[in-house]
Amino acid sequence: MMNDRSRDIGPFVPAPDDDMIVCRCEEITKGEIRRAVHDGMYTVTEIRRWLRAGMGLCQGQTCSKLVKGIAARELGISPALLEPASSRAPMRPTEMKVLGREEGACA
Amino acid sequence: MKRYDLIVIGAGPSGLSAAAEAASKGLRTVVFDENERPGGQLFKQIHKFFGSKEHKAKVRGYNIGKQLLQEAADAGVDVVLNAPVEGLYPDHEVTVRIGDSLRHFKGDAVIAATGASENMAAFKGWTLPGVIGAGAAQTMMNLHGIKPGNKVVMLGSGNVGLVVSYQLLQAGVEVAAVVDALPHVGGYGVHAAKLARTGVPFYLSHTIVEAEGEDRVKGVTIAEIDNKFNFIPGTEKHFDADTICVAVGLSPMSQLLKMAECDVPDDPSKGGQAPRVGAFGETSVKGVFAAGDVSGIEEASSAMIEGRITGLAAAESLGFITKQELEAETAGLENQLASLRRGMFAPGNKGRKITETDEGIALSESLLTQGYVADDEIARFPGVTKQRGIHPVIECTQNIPCNPCQDACRKGCIRIGKDITSLPAVDTDSQCVGCGLCVAACSGQAVFLVDEDYEEGYASVTLPYEFLPLPETGARGTALDRSGAPVCEAEVVEIRTSPAFDHTNLLTMKVPADMAMTARFFRNQKTESEAC
Repeated sequence: MMNDRSRDIGPFVPAPDDDMIVCRCEEITKGEIRRAVHDGMYTVTEIRRWLRAGMGLCQGQTCSKLVKGIAARELGISPALLEPASSRAPMRPTEMKVLGREEGACA
Repeated sequence: MKRYDLIVIGAGPSGLSAAAEAASKGLRTVVFDENERPGGQLFKQIHKFFGSKEHKAKVRGYNIGKQLLQEAADAGVDVVLNAPVEGLYPDHEVTVRIGDSLRHFKGDAVIAATGASENMAAFKGWTLPGVIGAGAAQTMMNLHGIKPGNKVVMLGSGNVGLVVSYQLLQAGVEVAAVVDALPHVGGYGVHAAKLARTGVPFYLSHTIVEAEGEDRVKGVTIAEIDNKFNFIPGTEKHFDADTICVAVGLSPMSQLLKMAECDVPDDPSKGGQAPRVGAFGETSVKGVFAAGDVSGIEEASSAMIEGRITGLAAAESLGFITKQELEAETAGLENQLASLRRGMFAPGNKGRKITETDEGIALSESLLTQGYVADDEIARFPGVTKQRGIHPVIECTQNIPCNPCQDACRKGCIRIGKDITSLPAVDTDSQCVGCGLCVAACSGQAVFLVDEDYEEGYASVTLPYEFLPLPETGARGTALDRSGAPVCEAEVVEIRTSPAFDHTNLLTMKVPADMAMTARFFRNQKTESEAC
């Protein structure tokens, strides 16, 4: 419903705070997120994959609500209506050497 | 792969309560927590909790944490620390990082008690060093003994923002302002009032325009906003500050539950994505339960009760207790939970503007917009009476679930009744002996002892005082009113400390008689010169 691409959300209008960093881990700015919406990224998952916002060290713990709020405002909808990003293991940043030393898994 | 009857994720108030309850019914229970210390946020909570005796009211958070840890240990719970849970799968399998390896565990039941994470606010300069979460400030001060800065601007006037601001003052940090975009103070009025009377200004309907500084925070500009959250030009205010604390709410950490395919809708009234749970904390996936902040943001007191209910429910789901036993044991807990969820800050009242108390008394508008009850408003509340001789003056003006003051008075001067959220009323027929137990028992520091006939022309005011160094008897200084404005000279005539007061000192100051209902804080002259 919310990712109906035929919906007109108007043109991208530059704003003075477009250079503000929102996702600090991946250094993605507010302007990049707003522009991504206008480029057709209507869900948080799409924005994540397009920009990597929320895919850094903190795994979106800090910025996911901010990204959601910015995207929702751009789309003119309530943030609660925006489909959230999916959650996957590992939940915390984990080195490959740890993942490689997996113990006790089912055969 | 190691198996347990019950795996609890998170060793905070709800997780430890759940584990202790389940283990006491015979479940082999393990708790995994990613932190190096157990207790979640409890060990950072140096203030006294609200509620009733059953909710451990007037006990400080870190002592509740100690009690819970002991209870879990006595029940035979394994608590594994430095152990982040990396994945939770629908068949109750969890992967945990322990040391340098990833290990698999399986529980017949799983309780997610993963708590919440702090929300952030993005404004110009928010990525500068010096912009920190209020929780981080609390961790630095209360766990590690480090001052986060020397001068702080607090963004957010909910209970977290108010409580942390007060703790900053206690740590010797100056709080330049409490700022909130909402038009009313979000947290308990009593928390706001204890800040305001030390002189901390409140800016409601304001937010941060910019954190200033090149490589770290050096100042903050705030401005008033209209009802569409746009800045109103010309209302900018500047503060020198080296730290900005952000306390703009919490979000449930529900990612593991989403991963386990539980139904996790986005619910703004619960603070974000929270699992849909039944009366016993059961999620949409059989055998997976949720308790505490992850299932909706509330206070630690509610989290502990939810944890107990969920621990019992897990025991019942595995056949350790019967359905009848579950219902019998949780009935009392459900009542306790219901009593905490009443009053004007109840989850159901979120976002609603309330204008009068349950008793039909108009709320203090000044408290909601300035952080303190105005002089011409205070007399209408039932805890405020005029009597001859020493008597309690209870400046508790909102219906919050809390009643230790009633139990503290052995003379029957204070009456709340069976409804825990009623405003405390002072009974003028009972004789106050000035013991001060009510002053120390009030978690909101809202009880004062006033004696308008202390000496010819002078009154005495006894107030709760939780700052160091303690002024000495005979010290002279300035009395501040509820807004923190200096109103008269004051002399400390008595300082009382007692184990029964649990670190709340009672400071009695002598002020001119006409200041008895105005003077509410003492500022030592010496402290002022030290600060210069």
